[in-house]
Amino acid sequence: MELILNILGAIATVILAFVVGMTYGGIVRKITARVQNRKGPPWYQNFIDAYKLYSKSTAIHHGWMHRMGPAFLMVTSVVTLMFIPVLNDGGWFENLTFKGDLIFLLYLMVLGALGMALGAGQTGNPNSAIGVTRGLSQMVGFEIPWVMALVALMIQYKTTSITGLMEVQQESGTWLMFSSPFAFIAAVLAMLGMFRYSPFDIVGAPSELASGPVSENGGKYLFTMMSSGSIYAFVKLTLYVDLFMGGADNLIILVVKTFTLYMIPVLYGIVSPRYRTEQAVKFFWGWPLFFGLLAILYAVIF
Amino acid sequence: MINDKNTQKLVDVIQNWARKHSIWVLAYGTGCGAIEIPPTMTSRYDAERLGVRGAATPRQADVLLITGYLTTKTLKRVIRVYEQMQDPKYVIGFGSCTINGGMYYDSYNTIKVLDKYLPVDVYINGCMPRPEAVLAGFGKLQELIAAGKADGAKKYKENLDWYRENQKRIIPNWVMPDYNW
Amino acid sequence: MQELKQKLTANIKAAYPEIKEKDYPGNRLDFTVDKQYLVSILTYLKESLGYIHLSHIACVDWLEEGEFEVIFILWSPEEKLKVFLRVRVDRENPVMPNVDMIWRQANTYEREMREMFGIQFEGLEAPEEFVLEDWQGPPPMRRDFDTESYANETFFHRPGREDALDVREEIIKRSREEIPDFAKKYSR
Repeated sequence: MELILNILGAIATVILAFVVGMTYGGIVRKITARVQNRKGPPWYQNFIDAYKLYSKSTAIHHGWMHRMGPAFLMVTSVVTLMFIPVLNDGGWFENLTFKGDLIFLLYLMVLGALGMALGAGQTGNPNSAIGVTRGLSQMVGFEIPWVMALVALMIQYKTTSITGLMEVQQESGTWLMFSSPFAFIAAVLAMLGMFRYSPFDIVGAPSELASGPVSENGGKYLFTMMSSGSIYAFVKLTLYVDLFMGGADNLIILVVKTFTLYMIPVLYGIVSPRYRTEQAVKFFWGWPLFFGLLAILYAVIF
Repeated sequence: MINDKNTQKLVDVIQNWARKHSIWVLAYGTGCGAIEIPPTMTSRYDAERLGVRGAATPRQADVLLITGYLTTKTLKRVIRVYEQMQDPKYVIGFGSCTINGGMYYDSYNTIKVLDKYLPVDVYINGCMPRPEAVLAGFGKLQELIAAGKADGAKKYKENLDWYRENQKRIIPNWVMPDYNW
Repeated sequence: MQELKQKLTANIKAAYPEIKEKDYPGNRLDFTVDKQYLVSILTYLKESLGYIHLSHIACVDWLEEGEFEVIFILWSPEEKLKVFLRVRVDRENPVMPNVDMIWRQANTYEREMREMFGIQFEGLEAPEEFVLEDWQGPPPMRRDFDTESYANETFFHRPGREDALDVREEIIKRSREEIPDFAKKYSR
């Protein structure tokens, strides 16, 4: 009986992440359109796109590794979702959060991109190969301040599990945003690169590279990648809210907090042009690295 | 219960509604008519409120916009692009050069009637058509999709031999893979 | 301007006596040369007289006289004069010398003339096809190539409408507007 309830809870979490992620995508398109002085698509546009892509027939034959690429991405997103506490006190959405471990999550988040790279490599399209190399070298850029911020948190509060950090915030009453500010700043600057919005969207830019690793995927593969992209966005936002903003008690507060946090990369990205790969890496090894070092020093001294 | 006619009709209605509200156009300008596509997609005559957005590769696109004249050199590449798109796909003929040759009716190098080489769903008249005309053309395509009549791809599959014969007549050096669908 | 032109004419006529010149208003000057002096006069103009910029190489098809005429347009930045050098070639078997070694951009112009007019350049090293792909007909820019009949044979045509109307008369009839006085000389 417990098993069936747990499985239902897992399915409910995945559906929640899918719906919230897609809605955020639609709302972002609307905001972008309004900033550019035009009316945009309706807020449910991403659902229509997903259904249209699902109903296309697929006639792409490149071998079995190419079909496994999107599957890798989807599996990684869902598994990462299982390890993150969505609400403060569990309930329907407590999946595997008692095993929540920050270091394990760091490894897991990179696995999806690697699977996608393997799948794109088999097509033989040079655009995919170039896009994959650029994406991986950009990842070298933003991973460093992100890991430094997390290490600073782990040193300061002497725990490596996410639930432990959430308990620290509940006991002391203040959010980690205020008690370790440098870690928060470094993590937010790394977040700009994680979401792959402008100015760091050279990996999948349509006019630059014929959309990079996605270029040979159409129809149902593209549906898988879009859905896993939205689920992954929800995962990252919830992780940030849990670590720095005190978690959420119910779904409405969660939606409000994640949306305000999501506006930071989106609003910055609407008005920025695109960086090349070496400019992006140089940016990430400048101020974000400095703030990361400050965060570690702060954690060690205090 | 799943295979009876009414359920099939209901599923078709929902599918056609989703397909008509999100059309992805391949960003490929074949001829000089492509200069009217940026005004249609940007702020003044916004095409994104209909769900129309640009797609980067033929694998991801729904609609191939043949904007203007097609020389024999371009026709070979456009046929290859068309055969790489996924079903269901549509072709829109843009400008008067696709209808009867337009301004280049006596040229030795351009094709005059597009319908004999690729199946066309909607023609948009003009030289070049204004963005309002382009949006009206997309509206016509949406009506055809909702009625289930936009079946250019099916026509291509059934009459593949006839299309191939026409194509091979004007392209002497035919090096292309087989069409698999 | 006139003194510069006369100085140039005197200079060239001293070196090549059989040249014919023609004066045009403005800063343009024409010379007609024979084919065998072409490379030497181009080199002389470029090295000694300062006409370092090759603007264009054009070709005219004189069908009635049975000749092609190739025109080189040169420009000098100091004196600001345009010099047109005209060379006549036989139409049945057109062979011209290659001026590739003097200006590198002449390569592209010569390829275009070889494809569109059929003029052979001796010593030109370039791939055979330039713009047209798999073209098996006669060189298309010659005046005796009827493009309309070629297009009618090779391509399909859409038959006209049964109720085809004259466009201008229809527009005048439908708009019924007054043409202003200054535009009357352009309308029928």
